[in-house]
Amino acid sequence: MRHLLAFGLAFALGAVAQVRHDELAKGAGDDWLTYAGTYAGWRYSPLTQVTADNAKNLVPKWVYHVPGARGLQSSPIVYQGVMYVTSTNALTAIDARTGRRVWQYSDPRAQKAGVNRGAAIWGDRVYFTTSDNYLVALDRHSGVLIFNKKFADIAMGTTSTSAPLIARGKVIVGSSGGDSGMRGFIMALSADTGETLWKTYTIPAKGEKGAETWGNLIDYGGGAAWLSGTYDPQLNTLYWTTGNPWPDYNGDVRPGDNLYTCSLLALDLETGKMKWYFQFTPHDTHDWDAQSWPVLLDTEINGKPRKAVLHANRNGFFYALDRVTGEFLRATQLIDKVTWAKGIDAKGKPIQLPNIEPTPQGNWICPSVKGATNWMGQSYNPLTGLLYVLTLEQCGMYFRSSQEPQPMKNFSGGGATEEGGQVVLRALDPKTGKRAWEYPMTGTGRMWTGTVSTAGGVIFSGDDDGHFLALNAKNGKNLWHFNLGEMLTASPVIYSVDGKQYVAVASATAVFSFGLFEPAVGVDPPVIRLRK
Amino acid sequence: MPLLAQHGRYLNDSQHPSIGKPEAIAAGAKFFGGSCTGCHGPDGGGGARGPNLVHRSLWHPLSDEAIFQVIRKGVPGTDMPPTQLTDEQTWSLVAYIHALTGPASTNVIPGDAAAGRATYWGAKAGCSGCHAVLGQGGRLAPDLSNVGGSRPIAMIRESILEPAKDLFFLGNEAATVVLKNGQTLSGVARNRSNYSLQLVDTKGILHLISMTDVKELTLSASTPMPTDYGKRLSRVELRDLLAYLATLDSRPAAEKGGK
Repeated sequence: MRHLLAFGLAFALGAVAQVRHDELAKGAGDDWLTYAGTYAGWRYSPLTQVTADNAKNLVPKWVYHVPGARGLQSSPIVYQGVMYVTSTNALTAIDARTGRRVWQYSDPRAQKAGVNRGAAIWGDRVYFTTSDNYLVALDRHSGVLIFNKKFADIAMGTTSTSAPLIARGKVIVGSSGGDSGMRGFIMALSADTGETLWKTYTIPAKGEKGAETWGNLIDYGGGAAWLSGTYDPQLNTLYWTTGNPWPDYNGDVRPGDNLYTCSLLALDLETGKMKWYFQFTPHDTHDWDAQSWPVLLDTEINGKPRKAVLHANRNGFFYALDRVTGEFLRATQLIDKVTWAKGIDAKGKPIQLPNIEPTPQGNWICPSVKGATNWMGQSYNPLTGLLYVLTLEQCGMYFRSSQEPQPMKNFSGGGATEEGGQVVLRALDPKTGKRAWEYPMTGTGRMWTGTVSTAGGVIFSGDDDGHFLALNAKNGKNLWHFNLGEMLTASPVIYSVDGKQYVAVASATAVFSFGLFEPAVGVDPPVIRLRK
Repeated sequence: MPLLAQHGRYLNDSQHPSIGKPEAIAAGAKFFGGSCTGCHGPDGGGGARGPNLVHRSLWHPLSDEAIFQVIRKGVPGTDMPPTQLTDEQTWSLVAYIHALTGPASTNVIPGDAAAGRATYWGAKAGCSGCHAVLGQGGRLAPDLSNVGGSRPIAMIRESILEPAKDLFFLGNEAATVVLKNGQTLSGVARNRSNYSLQLVDTKGILHLISMTDVKELTLSASTPMPTDYGKRLSRVELRDLLAYLATLDSRPAAEKGGK
């Protein structure tokens, strides 16, 4: 070789740190290793450098503009000072101290260019999915491709948008595309090879139990699994939510409850077998996917200690279930204005009001199609004992089409509008389901940012008008804000490098990272020797 | 990756039914081999008289109609003459030029890919010391797992024979850094500024370095890729190596396209 570097032929990773179960199960710290920071879905960081007292000193540290991005929905993961951010069919590794790009992998040949909500990490690899259902594994240091493995066929109407969840070497992925007719599923793929380990459909096959809750359209029933779920390592159980039945707005063609749509599924990690299900919205006709996080929490509910799963639902109610058995424990109203049901009965079924179906002329129903909340990440803070949920007070018109349903042709059996509305960040007490405080925002219900909270007593989120903000986790008092100049479309994360705490968020086109103010230090240009 | 982005737009713009049609490409290849290679090279990579069609199309894509007109009318004031081909024949030539500028894996590349594989992984070429294919091999040079699926064959050939020509090494600069704490690291700078350096070392480990911690940074003035492959490999070895590289595709044909 002409040059001086002795490039070793042998390549070995030796004693370099690897991400394994203990790191993932421990939850967030200096690193932010899963979509929700913890397996339990808390989006909580134990870091304490930024506090309610000094949050006023937060300043931007860097911005990384993601090439070609619009409406980034990625929740970054961070490991040992490197941030991994996904965009459409691409993953970028960024120096999390400086915002400098380290490497990027992109697959311009993917057959669809959809949104992507994030990456996952295991061993020395990072993983994400392409819009056309390939699981991509990359070396976390250099970005070299380890494998690119197709797990589902886009011709069957399914695409992929969610961040994979990795548990004990299994990469859990789900299906998107439920609004145009497909059969939803959740799959476990091998982190080593990408091979399929199990596949659990969210809609029964004809003849199976639950098939009696459908008419003839069962093959295209929907029930997409387009958001990452949560995981209980002790129970070895995955908690995954499912989307609406298809066609969205015309329920006449699918008589019955339409299992297992708009539901929470408890799946065995080893086999994918359904341990129990709970359907929030039977026979949904308002596109109220159950996609918001199942938050796992051991707490007292109705005076009894429980292993609970909490779920703020798009349909307007806030649920608590027993996560061992699936038993319904309690539901309270999440938003002020709900016009389709007057409450939830003792068994967990909605007490429906008359005349709530979409009509050809349009029916005015609350909440709107965007829902009382949506996939914006919630945060549970064990120090305040509160759950922080972005909610939307909004109603809309729901229309029904009488056209013959056509699967995979972008047909949803009608349509819906969202009109006006207000985003309110609400702190809920999981023990009672009642509100501790609320923070109303200015805007028109267009934001998609969730929350993250810290042991420093701070919540980070976005206003509904393009501001990034910090609130006091105890009382919701505003501490700090920064205008990002565009609507926030993803949820923030917390990490630390070299003893410095950062909070980062992907907005529409860029990733921003903030930390406490430090006086700048002038840096002399480096002395560089050139070697011929 | 601007190359691919532009290439993608170029392909997507194609309207004429000959484009991408195997029969038309095969017919076009015959015309190309007979009349065009003398100036433009056997794979469109350019020659003494004619420009590199692959570069031309990647950086400044012409519309298919414009290529058609150039073939038909020639370029006045240059060595490019007009032709007497029929419409169908001319379109087949356009289709072939399209294919030349497409990913190598989508074209028929002459050579023995199995022999090329042995050359790639063997000591004489030594490619795997720096380049990885599906995680096997070094981490210092660009990943080749998808080189056939992303690059025209003329560009792959050029990067082997003239690796320093087009600054392909940027993002892979050979670097040795001595830190103020006495530690020395060698590898490639994946990115660097006056303030920070992102270095992958010879073992493939990423180091995030602050320039304030750096005592001395030494960079190679050119690419770390050896520039003697034209001499090191025989013509047959090079042909076979290209045939092997053309097969490297992260979306194997068997998996492509739905059902």
